[in-house]
Amino acid sequence: MQLSRENLLAAYRRMATIRQFEERLHEEIKTGEIPGFTHLYCGQEAAAVGVCSHLDDADMIVSTHRGHGHCIAKGCDVIAMMKEIYGKRDGLCKGRGGSMHIADISIGMLGANGIVGAGAPQAVGAAIASSQDGPDERGRLKVAIAFSGDGACNQGTTFEAMNMAVVLQVPAIFVFENNHYSEHTGYRYAVGTGGDIASRAEAFGMKVWRADGCDFFATQAAMAELLDHVRSGGGPAAIELDTERFYGHFEGDPQRYRGPGEIDRIRATRDAIAIFRDRALPAGLVTAGELDAIDVEVSALIDQAVVEARSAPKSQPEDVLEDVYAEY
Amino acid sequence: MAVMTVREAINRTLHDEMERDPNIFVLGEDVAGGAGTEGGQEAIGGIWGTTEGLIGKFGPKRVIDTPISESAIIGAAAGAALAGKRPVAELMFADFIGVCADQLINQIAKFRYMFGGNTSCPVVVRLIYGAGMNAAAQHSQAFYNLLTAVPGLKVALPTTPADAKGLLTEALRGDDPVMFFEHKALYSRKGEVPDGDHRVPFGHARMVREGGDVTIVALGRMVSFAEKAVDGLAAEGIGCDVIDPRTTSPLDEEAILDSVEQTGRLVVVDESPPRCSMAADIVAIVTEKAFSCLKAPPRMVTAPHTPIPFSRELERAWLPSPERIAKAVQETLRWG
Amino acid sequence: MGLTVMTLKAFTMPKWGIEMVEGTVAEWMVREGEPFARGTVLALIETDKITNEVEAEADGCFVRLTARQGDTLPVGALLAVLGKPGTPATEVNAFVASFRPVDASMPGAEHAADTQLSPPPSAPAELAAPSPAPAIPEGIAISPVARAAAKAVGFDVEPLTGSGRKGRITAQDVDLALLEHRSSALKGPIDLPGQEAAFASPLARRLAVMHDIDLSRVDGTGMRGRIRKDDVVALVGPPVPKPAAFAPISTAGPGSVDVQPMSAIRRTIATRLTEAKQTIPHFYLRRRVRMDRLLALRAAQGKPGSINDYIVRATALALRIVPECNIQVHGADIHRFASADIALAVATSRGLMTPILVRADALDVPAIAKASAQLAERARDGKMAPHEYQGGSFTISNLGMFGVDQFDAIINPPQGAILAVGAVRTEPIVDNGALRMLDMVHLSMSCDHRAIDGADGARFLDALARIIEAADQL
Repeated sequence: MQLSRENLLAAYRRMATIRQFEERLHEEIKTGEIPGFTHLYCGQEAAAVGVCSHLDDADMIVSTHRGHGHCIAKGCDVIAMMKEIYGKRDGLCKGRGGSMHIADISIGMLGANGIVGAGAPQAVGAAIASSQDGPDERGRLKVAIAFSGDGACNQGTTFEAMNMAVVLQVPAIFVFENNHYSEHTGYRYAVGTGGDIASRAEAFGMKVWRADGCDFFATQAAMAELLDHVRSGGGPAAIELDTERFYGHFEGDPQRYRGPGEIDRIRATRDAIAIFRDRALPAGLVTAGELDAIDVEVSALIDQAVVEARSAPKSQPEDVLEDVYAEY
Repeated sequence: MAVMTVREAINRTLHDEMERDPNIFVLGEDVAGGAGTEGGQEAIGGIWGTTEGLIGKFGPKRVIDTPISESAIIGAAAGAALAGKRPVAELMFADFIGVCADQLINQIAKFRYMFGGNTSCPVVVRLIYGAGMNAAAQHSQAFYNLLTAVPGLKVALPTTPADAKGLLTEALRGDDPVMFFEHKALYSRKGEVPDGDHRVPFGHARMVREGGDVTIVALGRMVSFAEKAVDGLAAEGIGCDVIDPRTTSPLDEEAILDSVEQTGRLVVVDESPPRCSMAADIVAIVTEKAFSCLKAPPRMVTAPHTPIPFSRELERAWLPSPERIAKAVQETLRWG
Repeated sequence: MGLTVMTLKAFTMPKWGIEMVEGTVAEWMVREGEPFARGTVLALIETDKITNEVEAEADGCFVRLTARQGDTLPVGALLAVLGKPGTPATEVNAFVASFRPVDASMPGAEHAADTQLSPPPSAPAELAAPSPAPAIPEGIAISPVARAAAKAVGFDVEPLTGSGRKGRITAQDVDLALLEHRSSALKGPIDLPGQEAAFASPLARRLAVMHDIDLSRVDGTGMRGRIRKDDVVALVGPPVPKPAAFAPISTAGPGSVDVQPMSAIRRTIATRLTEAKQTIPHFYLRRRVRMDRLLALRAAQGKPGSINDYIVRATALALRIVPECNIQVHGADIHRFASADIALAVATSRGLMTPILVRADALDVPAIAKASAQLAERARDGKMAPHEYQGGSFTISNLGMFGVDQFDAIINPPQGAILAVGAVRTEPIVDNGALRMLDMVHLSMSCDHRAIDGADGARFLDALARIIEAADQL
């Protein structure tokens, strides 16, 4: 499916926003002003955007602890996200969730999750809801996507979810972003099939796809087919995206598991932003100037986000007690 | 008013509520039974009979037989609730909290709070619990204490058919996640149930007996054990207040404290081991807030600190009994 | 006509006094656009204290009146715009639109309802004399037992924050609140000025503070001399009300002031006499007694003793006649004594001491003189043993040597009475119808009406007077 210019520019904007948001956090975290754990998504932009570029607000995603990229790709407010990461009172989750628990249910972002593998069954539940609602006026089912990594793919919850999705034949999609490391352990070791994740999903009885998760176009195209299949009632599906993360598992990770020169190499050869430009510009769909202009606008947005987050009002002690229950 | 069993009350409530609200659906193992078999649809209607007749009326999209995957069942309920539905998931045995605890404790309980109040997660999880049927250590535990300890969850344990209907209805109408504990040995208990819309608010205890000498708080099936003990004590001229909290989260502290402020003596009956039990929690609350009214140390009548044994004699010895309750009452009265 | 710079100025709500937060424009006294001269009254502004005229400080004109009559506005708010007549409306509009009032708020105003009287301190009603029970307002979450308990003692529950759910007041909350004003000495960290160095257990320290005991004077019986609770408890006398401390009217006095904390003896006197004055129903019997024969006898005997020694003997003899006044009062019991142990009030540098003349009724005047001199000396030297000053059934206090004519003494508990003796003076007296000048002394007897009735006191005083006036037994 050929993408329109608008869609291409929008996709690039999303990717650039993710990249700059995360790179900026990498710097700001060093100041000590940001509390808690943060897990950066740099390098995986093509996966999030390649998947989410097909989705609208009614479609639902469940994310992981490395969720900033999915949030931005799904359309969350960048400034509100930054405020949340800074723990401010008017953050997206009122300062109560933080980096690992950002959510915006109103646009189908059912939350980043601090428990590895927890999201997969939740996506199945959202898919059950979708199948109860039935297809929309275009005859399409809403989909529910569970983002997982090469770590989560080994959790029992993931297997249970895949099986249940197949048994109930609901429009659940399992996106496995293989960034080659589950925390500090390599995927070839941890995934018993020698690193092949998609085959396991296939063994559960669903159709699977594979694509280069550093190439927006490859991911986008594979997802187009997959979504056709799922939306038309073909049952659940999975896609394994081969990608890279440029930073550690968490900010502060010394990354002793990397090979010599590895980070330089992947930054040089597997940079999703660079690959996008390499693919899009020669095809003449967009100009370098347009992409550069987007970079500048994104930079200003991220600056603004940090400034606002820093100066936003802090949480108050009485906020602790709110929103535990609807009614107690 | 109609007379029915606890089982029937639950079943009818599910029927009525699923009719009223198309977003409510049921999922769990064998909630209909027979999926993928030659015998076909509704081979059982739930192993406790509580979900009987639902699939015939509402179809397989709203009455979902799941594979044996507690994490996925509860996780799916969580996701469906975030997506706007009102799932009623069944945990065939409350002991299986161990299998799916993350989805209950870290997910369902915390979504509303972590996401800044921007969402609700109106899941009802029906857990079947309790000892007395020789189901042994892994199928008899009463884990309402574990879930009461988790902020964000509500916990109910009805003991009568009327309360089963009232609390389940209330749970299905509210926006908070509810852990609905059904005692396996109480399913056949009969009682009068009001017709129509009958709701029992959470955090309101039921005053089962009034007597004024000693306050007895009893949980679940222990309420009827306490009633038996109290009827025996009445012959000796001892009158007890018997309080059935009905929900442990929220807990009706006022009813318990008001009674203890009058009697000065407390006995709590709980079919759990004592450490970190609901009995210990209630004793702590009363001691902290009504110490100056106490005339005797509070007493807990609980099971011992052991797993639940299998044989008839051992299980009978494990459970509290009306005799032990009466003895505890008399001991509190010895403090002058 | 060239452009002239029009300077517009804001005319704002003035601040009169630090308390003013807002004012009302009661009346505009000039019209919009009408020029006025310096000194003209521009407006009447009303606050909750006064209505004041605002005068023009210079010639001028209001190009716009923004506040209307009757408007109440905060201090610093815009009331009108001063400027040259004919200023274009757009400029005035712009000025008004961009006007920002200064922050005239009072820091901390957000914390208090400054315009209201602060509520009276919410002390619980005195337990001894409950004030009329305030009705517990409807709508306060409170348990039935708590409500009843509070009502019974007239305790106001409104200021309480309950420990029950959502602040519900429990019976224990009421119990605690009633307890609080009794045990304040034990709350919080113990302030022991000057006593931190004392080697004592924490409990002993607390008790010392509570009972006002100076630890530096306590011998510890614990290990290595540590002061234990029992050591302190042993020194605790019967509970007596503390002497009232009167707050000074002003802290600045003329010149410097030398503050002297009371010594232990002083404190003991203070507490014992305060207790006596407050708990014993004193009544006073007064009598003038002729001293002429006693004085003559004394002179004839060669003054073997002081005048007071003779009075001691006379008192001892009178107590034999009226033993009802020779008593000690112990609670509901009256202890009667066979002999008269008479205490003598002795002024020492450390304070009043009362050494006892044991069996004074068996002593003659020389013996009394000797014993009393010895006791007085020992008292002044601080060398008395407890048995020498504790007890006694009657006290005589003589301030005659200081020129006092007459005074009323405070009974020395547990005794039942005390005799106050004034100076011997030559006074006119009617004797057998004739006016004579005789040596007289004024006696005042204070009696404890719990144990001694007026008749008994009077009989004793009468007996004493006769013995003194006859003087033949002395």
